[in-house]
Amino acid sequence: MKTPTATEVKDLNERIHLKSVRNVRRGQEVEEGIDIYRPGVKVCLERTRLLTESYKMTEGQSPMMRQARALERILLNMSLYIRDWEQIVGNYASNPDAVFWPIEQNWKSVHRLLHGEGKSLLDDEGRAELDEIVEYWDGKTVSDRRKKAFAGCPDLEKYWKYEGTMLWSQWSDQGVPNYEKVISIGLNGIIREAEGKLQEIRRTIPSDYNCQKEFLEAVTISLKATIEWARRYAEKARELAKSDKDQERKKQLEEIAEICEWVPANPVRTLHEALQSFIFTHIVRDQIEFITLGCGIRFDMVMNPFYKKDLKEGRITREKALELVKQTRLHLEELGQMYSPTLTQVYGGVQVLQSLVIGGVDSEGRDITNEMSYLILDSVLEMKTLQPSIALRVHDGTPKDLFVKAIDVIRTGVGYPSLQNDKALIPLLLKWGCPLEDARNYTISGCVYLDIQGKNILRRNSTYFSLPRCLWWALRQGIDPKTGEQYGAPTPDPTTFTSIEDVMDAYLEQVRFFMEKQVQVENVTRSVYAEYYPRPFASALTDGCIERGQDLRSWAYSGRVESFAIAVGPTNVADSLAAVKKFVFDEKKSPMAELIKIIDRNWEGREDLRQMMLSAPKFGNDDDYVDMIANEVHCRTEQVIEKFSDFCGSGFHLDGSAVSATYGLSLDTPATPDGRKDGEAFADGSLSPMPAADVSGPTAVLKSCSKVDTLQSYNYLLNQKFLPGFLEGENKEIFYNYLKSWADLGISHIQFNVVDKETLLDAQNHPEKHGGLVVRVAGYSAYFVDLSRGLQDHIIARTEQGFA
Amino acid sequence: MSARGFERLNDEGLVFNIQKFSIHDGPGIRTTVFMKGCSLQCKWCSNPESIKPYPEIMAFDIRCIGCGKCMQTCPVGAISFSEKGREIDWAKCTLCLECAWVCPAKAIECIGTYVTVDDVLKKVEEDSIFYQNSGGGMTVSGGEALLQWEFIRELFKRCRDRGIHTALDTTGNAPWRKIEKVLEHVDLVLYDCKHMDTRKHREGTGVGNELILKNAEKVALRVRTWLRIPLIPDYNDSEWNIRELAEFASRINVEKVSILPYNELGGSKYPKLGQAYRMEETAAPDVESLQKAKETIESRGLKAEIGR
Repeated sequence: MKTPTATEVKDLNERIHLKSVRNVRRGQEVEEGIDIYRPGVKVCLERTRLLTESYKMTEGQSPMMRQARALERILLNMSLYIRDWEQIVGNYASNPDAVFWPIEQNWKSVHRLLHGEGKSLLDDEGRAELDEIVEYWDGKTVSDRRKKAFAGCPDLEKYWKYEGTMLWSQWSDQGVPNYEKVISIGLNGIIREAEGKLQEIRRTIPSDYNCQKEFLEAVTISLKATIEWARRYAEKARELAKSDKDQERKKQLEEIAEICEWVPANPVRTLHEALQSFIFTHIVRDQIEFITLGCGIRFDMVMNPFYKKDLKEGRITREKALELVKQTRLHLEELGQMYSPTLTQVYGGVQVLQSLVIGGVDSEGRDITNEMSYLILDSVLEMKTLQPSIALRVHDGTPKDLFVKAIDVIRTGVGYPSLQNDKALIPLLLKWGCPLEDARNYTISGCVYLDIQGKNILRRNSTYFSLPRCLWWALRQGIDPKTGEQYGAPTPDPTTFTSIEDVMDAYLEQVRFFMEKQVQVENVTRSVYAEYYPRPFASALTDGCIERGQDLRSWAYSGRVESFAIAVGPTNVADSLAAVKKFVFDEKKSPMAELIKIIDRNWEGREDLRQMMLSAPKFGNDDDYVDMIANEVHCRTEQVIEKFSDFCGSGFHLDGSAVSATYGLSLDTPATPDGRKDGEAFADGSLSPMPAADVSGPTAVLKSCSKVDTLQSYNYLLNQKFLPGFLEGENKEIFYNYLKSWADLGISHIQFNVVDKETLLDAQNHPEKHGGLVVRVAGYSAYFVDLSRGLQDHIIARTEQGFA
Repeated sequence: MSARGFERLNDEGLVFNIQKFSIHDGPGIRTTVFMKGCSLQCKWCSNPESIKPYPEIMAFDIRCIGCGKCMQTCPVGAISFSEKGREIDWAKCTLCLECAWVCPAKAIECIGTYVTVDDVLKKVEEDSIFYQNSGGGMTVSGGEALLQWEFIRELFKRCRDRGIHTALDTTGNAPWRKIEKVLEHVDLVLYDCKHMDTRKHREGTGVGNELILKNAEKVALRVRTWLRIPLIPDYNDSEWNIRELAEFASRINVEKVSILPYNELGGSKYPKLGQAYRMEETAAPDVESLQKAKETIESRGLKAEIGR
């Protein structure tokens, strides 16, 4: 195998068609002059077509069987392709430029989009076909069935609609399959387990015998279909090999054929097979069966044994392994997904939010750093991609060399690896009821999403929750000032408040009120999913489903890691409460009634009052006055959320991912007492200080963050922006010490934008010169030029930490 | 901070800034405490707000929201508003600081606060974990910190007691008996030297160099010392001066020499203090002259670096 030159690598990267969704909405406003996808991206109807055909053929059968048969029909009939550079294969749509829409979830958004602002994504013939398909699904999608379930409950219909406080999102399944199991026993091994269970229940006849039997049969159908799908790639590769004149490529294609005949059916023998098995499994589980966010494989832990074995037996060189790892990353890079225009306000620049995890400890607490941890970071130095993001788990035993390698990658500005702190997260998972060995084995599936490989955790982030807007409701007794309607909770008149505690109580009551509505919406939808849209393939790869004879949607992992609401703007709530405490209650410089009146008119004519509120202590400066309030906001908001649970008894939590919602949701939140103006973006992560408010340097930011107790609250996202020079030469050692201190302080997460402001400004004005400029938005990276102007401004505004 | 103005209590020091995450004032991640008041008057000073030994005001026109509160409160009518914005008649200003207390937008700030050793220590200790991980600590700088020698002596002592590494950034222009007392609690000295010709030294800084050079020798004998040379084009960058400085550094045996290139960044501060900047004509030194100075120093067997 020849080592690819730098240009070849670059070419390979550029051949991929990116399907990042652009940010076309902010609040309820439309961003002008930006298409929802890059030019050339098209909608593919193939999956939709095959799915619909199958559903028509299986009328009258159980939902379980219909799902299995639909997957089977798709995998056996979809178009396959192998491009001339591919050594790892696998596609999810009929061509490399395509995204598809999961029609079984909702037809209205796609219909509206493809007949309106996204018209160019599909030709007229396709549109006619889509209309026909829509006719079939009308009344049968998750959305339709949810709507039916809402009937007679006008409250749910009302609070389901996005109004500015909460954005409920339907497709937020995540979860990480048991990749190690697929790799070690193959899908055939899992089929044998399902058949064994079937024989067992034929003897024992449990009361839900029919259900279990259907499920186990569905598992077998979907696994066999996947094996057949892989075999079709083998066939394709052999066919291409026959006609290929290039001897080297011919050999590669024959190798691909042999690998696809072997995996994912059988136990993996080599690194190449392991990577191929992973890609096949990931595409079927997370794309074709059901659109899913995230990935979350513990990459170095799973892959290194095969790499080591290959090296020892002389089957592979480091260069060849690097090439295969790069190809694996490219397969993840090209996955994309369609979002409704409304959802782009929280997903600006997102593809599928996949993370790979390296480092950390194993289930016995030993450091797992190995050759593969370094190799994948080296592959990023050679080839940048937006996806997958890499999450580096840090603990006391993380080798300095790995830190240093990570700093080199962060220095490139690619936005990852993000650092995840075992010191904060393992205790949190223990508190959430995970057994020690599972907690130690945690992974990050996307952004800061906590997950555990192989466990039945669907991990739905169903709600984006604007906390500053809850505070705003608390200052208005829950009454919409425009309509006079009692929309939020009827909390007491704020002019009667005598201490900050009163404000806090009213805020928390608003949080509770809105969360209750959202939980009802979510739980109704979950029951629709469980009844009509089971996932036999994903269930087969999830520990416990076959043993129970039960689909993963109808039970849950015992630890409470299932249901999440994404917290947006907690820093602004904390800064607001601190300002109110100082100037309304402590120093009595502004009566509450006056403050509310002035906030209501967006500070107009009272810039002096706004400046005063801005001068109050702000989070991010190591100032206890506000940091303690921030801790209280985080912990007490989480306490309110934790009281809710789903039908499996699994409790809700807040999640700190934030995505681009800090920008997208802010437009619908009027001015807040921290001095923020109407519509101004919130602080950019769940733990990030408000931009430009953190004036005491990067150590003070970390100190403030460390006062927020992860154990009593949730997993956070913290963005920091540094100048490139800070990660180079002699400064690299300082940066390493700074990261060590971050770890010692027990802060759950940190990630970096490494770029100077001038570059960002220039890219805004001359996008043509900066096509390759990558920035970190939240738990994901995006091309700067793909972001809307407003979201670009949001990133430029982040405080730049540098030399002192 | 309180609105006390000039009133100083016995155990207090006058500080104008405490800067965390300083990485150029000694090893590791440090907190630098800037003491206000200086016995030198360097023309190129990039911290002109450090020179006067009492609190003063600094005006940031760009932040002004035009509320007029400063004008209303000024007892001597030194502040006025026109279409050009707010204007301060610096000749009238008595530094009563009232305007700074009433400004809601920090468009007039009070520079210099009287604090106790405990106040400073509390701030310094906040970053202990970063010192531990990076081999950093606290640096006291100025102004000329030795003007407040009793205060900083106590500060250094209390830091050392807590295991925090201590560094003093000084021009050395103080009586030896005071320096000696301070050094008892100092781990590292960053010693500024500008010119080997006392006449030129007086021209640039207002004082001659005899005491400074004599003290440097004594300091280096006692404590680990890094010599710092601010390189000012057309003032101290002559071959002769660099060679003499290098010889001196080599003779008194300092651990290393840092060349700090002059920059214009401090220039914008002067008008904010109602002062004129006397270095308008001077540009930052070019790479070659910095490199040449570095080589000259290295040729004496010394470790040299170009700092910032």
